[in-house]
Amino acid sequence: MNPLENIKMAVKTLTANKLRSTLTVLGIVIGNASVVAMIGIGQGAQTFTQERVESLGANLLYVFMDGQGSEVGAGDPPQLLLSDAEAIAAQAPAVKLVSPMISASLTVNYQSRTTKATVQGITPDFLPVRNMQMTTGRFWDEVAQRQDATVVVLGAELSQKLFNRTNPIGQEIQIGDRSFQVIGVLQRKGAALGVNPDVNAFIPITTMANQLVGRSVPGGMSIDEIEISAKDQASIRAAAFQVTNILTRLRGKQDFLVVANKSVQDLLRQITEALSIMLAAIAGISLLVGGIGIMNIMLVSVTERTQEIGLRKAIGAPEQSILQQFLIEAVTLSIAGGIIGISIGVGSAVLVGVFTPLKPTVPFSAIVLATGVSGGIGLIFGVVPARQAAKLDPIVALRRA
Amino acid sequence: MANMMIRLEGISKVYGMGETLIHALSGVDLSIKQGEYCAIMGSSGSGKSTMMNLIGCLDRPTTGAYYLDDENVAELTNTALARIRNLKLGFVFQQFHLLPQLTALENVMLPMVYAHVPPAERLKRATAALVRVGLENRLQNKPTQLSGGQQQRVAIARSIVNQPLLLLADEPTGALDSHTTQEILDIFTELNRSGMTVVMVTHEADVARTTKRVIWFKDGQVLNPNLAPQELHQLERP
Repeated sequence: MNPLENIKMAVKTLTANKLRSTLTVLGIVIGNASVVAMIGIGQGAQTFTQERVESLGANLLYVFMDGQGSEVGAGDPPQLLLSDAEAIAAQAPAVKLVSPMISASLTVNYQSRTTKATVQGITPDFLPVRNMQMTTGRFWDEVAQRQDATVVVLGAELSQKLFNRTNPIGQEIQIGDRSFQVIGVLQRKGAALGVNPDVNAFIPITTMANQLVGRSVPGGMSIDEIEISAKDQASIRAAAFQVTNILTRLRGKQDFLVVANKSVQDLLRQITEALSIMLAAIAGISLLVGGIGIMNIMLVSVTERTQEIGLRKAIGAPEQSILQQFLIEAVTLSIAGGIIGISIGVGSAVLVGVFTPLKPTVPFSAIVLATGVSGGIGLIFGVVPARQAAKLDPIVALRRA
Repeated sequence: MANMMIRLEGISKVYGMGETLIHALSGVDLSIKQGEYCAIMGSSGSGKSTMMNLIGCLDRPTTGAYYLDDENVAELTNTALARIRNLKLGFVFQQFHLLPQLTALENVMLPMVYAHVPPAERLKRATAALVRVGLENRLQNKPTQLSGGQQQRVAIARSIVNQPLLLLADEPTGALDSHTTQEILDIFTELNRSGMTVVMVTHEADVARTTKRVIWFKDGQVLNPNLAPQELHQLERP
């Protein structure tokens, strides 16, 4: 009996008892559906976090103080200086742009509306480093920067909160105890890594240091963080190396951290990957249970069909043929269940994509793998019943009524 | 001896072990020529079913030699025996043993599947066999749509489709009424007339009378290897 005929025969036998066949494969269906859905949703979550972090700037590096390095009670903790940022911009060849930053939580009010917002002192390089655009108005230029201009650019949500739908450009708002003129609104960006620029207000860094928060320290102006964009993806490591060297030389010791956005991205990817593998593995257990279900029913089926087996042997079926027949039945069952389960899994992944911001994708390799694993399970759990069938004594099998 | 279909020499069959040994057959010598039509009779427990299983290569003798078509089959492997059953033997059972999910035609094609006959040829031969047993109008019917007699005719068609040397029938009319019994026996007679060797196990004297030779078993031995069917009334009834 060739394999194709065997498959046809198996389909015929299995469809002769539709309800039982359906119930038998239910375990495999559920197992595959959950594995595929988990993989799909996991992939979606991964893409989602990757995109969010990526949106911060692809070749971004952060420099901030290493908090653990500061000794308690040894005077003021060491600070990053604006001159550090300037040195990096001037000396590191792998660095494209440098964006120093001071942040403070301050009261912001316009007419009767008052709110607390994170106000960030920045330079014009902030926009390209963070990969951000303006919706309306303009950003301040180098000249305004040098002149400590009292201008502010608002995040989209903050702008809406203060001005509702009216045009904020040209209006005066109070930040702390100073008046600032709104000159622009940033495009909505969304939160990533706990940072949401949409709710922040942005003013020139020198204005911030000189007029709102005192940041004069021996050696210059202290800042909170430096964001750097490397020339391209390939020079991220070089940029990190150069920045570390320049700062260590300037500061005399390495009391700061240089973190590439990409390594944050890698870390997050590893975490989401591990999570989705774990979820898929848990779902995989139900596949195993499904396999046991198939074995159970195949064993029952062998007992029920002893007469058929006996007859097939009497008319000349060798043991090998009987073995093959039952194995193919088990594999056909489990692959059919696998395909149904995969369809359900893909379907639910698509549904999740419709109702959440995640965009689940089921890789083709996962589908092939799931089908293969289902077939394998049928094969493994089909062996015992099939061997039992093949070893039946035809005389006993025929006599049993 | 050239035209000897079955030659059994010193066949015995023992079941069980130790204290519970059962001698189903002890020292049976028997020959059946090609073209014969015989009935194996005997009371239950006489060894006639064991004999049938041995002749049908479903079982092996404990001792002795069995030449089927001049080949000693007593020591062949399971696979070789399956091949002999497939190509040289045809079986007809009391309970028909048709596969319920297959049509009459598919049931008849089954032995050819194991004989690796090409599909086109299978269809041709199966159709011819069903025509021969008078079921040309029932090719696509499933067993549940056929009467007992029709089912047994499908089973006969299945048994002859690989053109066997020997047709073995185990109580072929045991599940049929007297009218249908006659129809089935007519088919056997016709098959024998066309040259097929037929061996039938039965306990019904009326059935045995349609054959040409009766082999009478008792207590695992051949009581009478060559009884004329007309003489059946002389024997004690089982």
